[in-house]
Amino acid sequence: MRKLLWRISKLSEILWRGLRAWSGDSAYENYLRSRAVRAAGCPPLSRKEFYVQQLNRRYSRPNRCC
Amino acid sequence: MKRALSIIVWVAVGAVGAAGFGAIALHRGEHLNAVWFVIAAGCCYLVAYRLYSSFISAKLLALDDTRATPAERHDDGRDFVPTNKWVLLGHHFAAIAGPGPLVGPTLAAQFGYLPGTLWLIVGAVFGGCVQDFVILFCSIRRDGKSLGEMAREEVSKRGGFIAQIAVLAIMIILLGVVALVVVNALKSSPWATFTLAMSIPIALLLGLYLRFLRPGRVLEASTIGVALLVFVVVAGQWVADSPSWARVFTMSGVSLAFAIIAYGFAASALPVWLLLAPRDYLSAFIKVGATFSLAAGILLVHPAIQMPALTRFVDGTGPVFSGKVFPFCFITIACGAVSGFHSLISSGTTPKMILREGHARLIGYGAMLMESFVGVMAMVAACAMTPGVYFAINSPASIVGATPEAAAGTISGWGFPLSAGTMTGLAHAVGEHTLLNRAGGAPSLAVGMAQIFSNTIGGDRLLSIWYHFAIMFEALFILTVLDAGTRVGRFMVQELGGRVWKPFARTAWMPGILLSSALIVGAWGYFLYQGVIDPLGGINSLWPLFGIANQLLAAVALVVATTILLKMGRTRWIGVTLVPMAWLVIVTMTASWQKIFHPDPRLGFLSYANAMAAQIAAGKIPAAKIAEAQRLIFNQRLDALVTAVLALMILVLVVEALLQWTAILSRRRVPVLHETPYLRTRWAPGAEGVSAGGDD
Repeated sequence: MRKLLWRISKLSEILWRGLRAWSGDSAYENYLRSRAVRAAGCPPLSRKEFYVQQLNRRYSRPNRCC
Repeated sequence: MKRALSIIVWVAVGAVGAAGFGAIALHRGEHLNAVWFVIAAGCCYLVAYRLYSSFISAKLLALDDTRATPAERHDDGRDFVPTNKWVLLGHHFAAIAGPGPLVGPTLAAQFGYLPGTLWLIVGAVFGGCVQDFVILFCSIRRDGKSLGEMAREEVSKRGGFIAQIAVLAIMIILLGVVALVVVNALKSSPWATFTLAMSIPIALLLGLYLRFLRPGRVLEASTIGVALLVFVVVAGQWVADSPSWARVFTMSGVSLAFAIIAYGFAASALPVWLLLAPRDYLSAFIKVGATFSLAAGILLVHPAIQMPALTRFVDGTGPVFSGKVFPFCFITIACGAVSGFHSLISSGTTPKMILREGHARLIGYGAMLMESFVGVMAMVAACAMTPGVYFAINSPASIVGATPEAAAGTISGWGFPLSAGTMTGLAHAVGEHTLLNRAGGAPSLAVGMAQIFSNTIGGDRLLSIWYHFAIMFEALFILTVLDAGTRVGRFMVQELGGRVWKPFARTAWMPGILLSSALIVGAWGYFLYQGVIDPLGGINSLWPLFGIANQLLAAVALVVATTILLKMGRTRWIGVTLVPMAWLVIVTMTASWQKIFHPDPRLGFLSYANAMAAQIAAGKIPAAKIAEAQRLIFNQRLDALVTAVLALMILVLVVEALLQWTAILSRRRVPVLHETPYLRTRWAPGAEGVSAGGDD
């Protein structure tokens, strides 16, 4: 029983992480973890700056199809 | 032992799929159950994925998991983000699945369920999936370059220019035609118009929330947004029941067209965080949720298919759109089988996020199989309703008549029994004044979906809620395509204009933003207006035009793919991309020729214009209607010109590519491949489980 509960909680955790990644909810955390940010000497963008920049980049190329 | 078991399992899956195919192809007489469609499609997809995509991966592309992908080379946390393959599959699917796979099969159901279903499955397995997969591979090997850049580098400069123009053309026609689908779904419907109108303040509210209150917290904002959307779907009924409010939201086709044009302009010119992005978040959640719900509904309800396998309209006299099953079934169903637009996504965001080359198989080939399944579900929903009702909803008034009695008489005369009371009763049950003459596919799909959903939850009591939920779902993501497409079109216009006058290319320069937005909105708005005033319903002219443009882009993508593979020396299996390319060229050229020159005025643009001109000359058109008739003549000639230009572009590109291929194969030219040099990955196998990034 305990093993089953453990498996369910593990699966929920994976699904939740996947949902956050798919929706863009965890995009900022991923940005902070990226190699480019870690390697750069200057401070990373704030959450607000990152959000707006990200949207402007995404919607300047075809990203939704017919 | 393991191998023997695997062979047995796959032979069994193949046999079940063949039985499903046999059932839908050979069944006559009593109504066929929709489960056969799911079985046939599901088993074919499994076998195709297991065998054909694995053959392409190993023999044609030779995918190499030891090679670093663009996401590893550039890992900047913005564009280049290494992403878990299942998350990226979700991203890619959400990006490629738009209104096309829902609307196209619904329209093609006028031929019966068989031609469209076969094309959806076979076209996807051998055409659409191959295109998406190979272009994704080519782009991964070129640091995520776009289709236009690859066409310029690998085919010729002219090829690159053609690709760029084709993208802009398809964008304009696509936006015009999908806007027309929304107009036909919303006209004279206060409930649906209110629901969609309310999605704008909801999106604005979420935009402000995500920008100022909780930046980037997409999940919590989307949860609030979806709850508000469900509320406004229910509240729409109160608006429709209130005479004064119903009057405010009852709009004609022309008024709706101007409202949508104004919306498109605002969405393109306003900051992206305010309206476009939050609407896109809502649309993505609703889209994925409704798609899975429809699949579950079909499996639970397993409705009987009422439409015959083939109707009399395979001869080209169909009321929804004119033209024979060849080539028009293959033009009408573009998305769901082969869609050139997908190549923009496969050479856009996705190649920059892929973790390993081997994942391209699941993401490129697998996501397109999923989209094809969405198309099959739309076909099931359209064919599960009574054929008479289907034709009454989708036929223009000029063919079946404007009243329930006239429509019932005409459609019953075709051999599809229908009573006026059925249409009146159905309209009442879904909370509409009328369901007649709503060409475009969205309302009939909504009726089909509502019937499936209401048989699962709520029964007839909730039919009207489900119908308006389905309309909201379709209209919401059509508007998302509209505003995202208008914005991208604006950037393209600015880039092209910048070649003539440099300041125009500055994307932050307000006069440039306003002028380019006006140009792009004016272009698709013209096609929309033309469709709204067309007595044949607009869809008859514009949907084939969109299909031709979309297949043109698919032909461009497959020409680029074939050229790259030839340069790589993969000549033995070149038929994998060459055969679908040749098929698309044949289909597109035949359809273009017929749309321009066919003597039937309902089919040929020029003969329609000439017939109209002859009527004016013979004095058969009242003086008050002459200006309108002349506008129709101009529109038909314009459509003929656009079709001719698209066809000419295909011919130029094919000739250009043939010259290049001959030179490579005869070894007169040393092929120059613009691949990024090999770099060995530094990420250990299994690293994909750790990283689950995403920028979307």
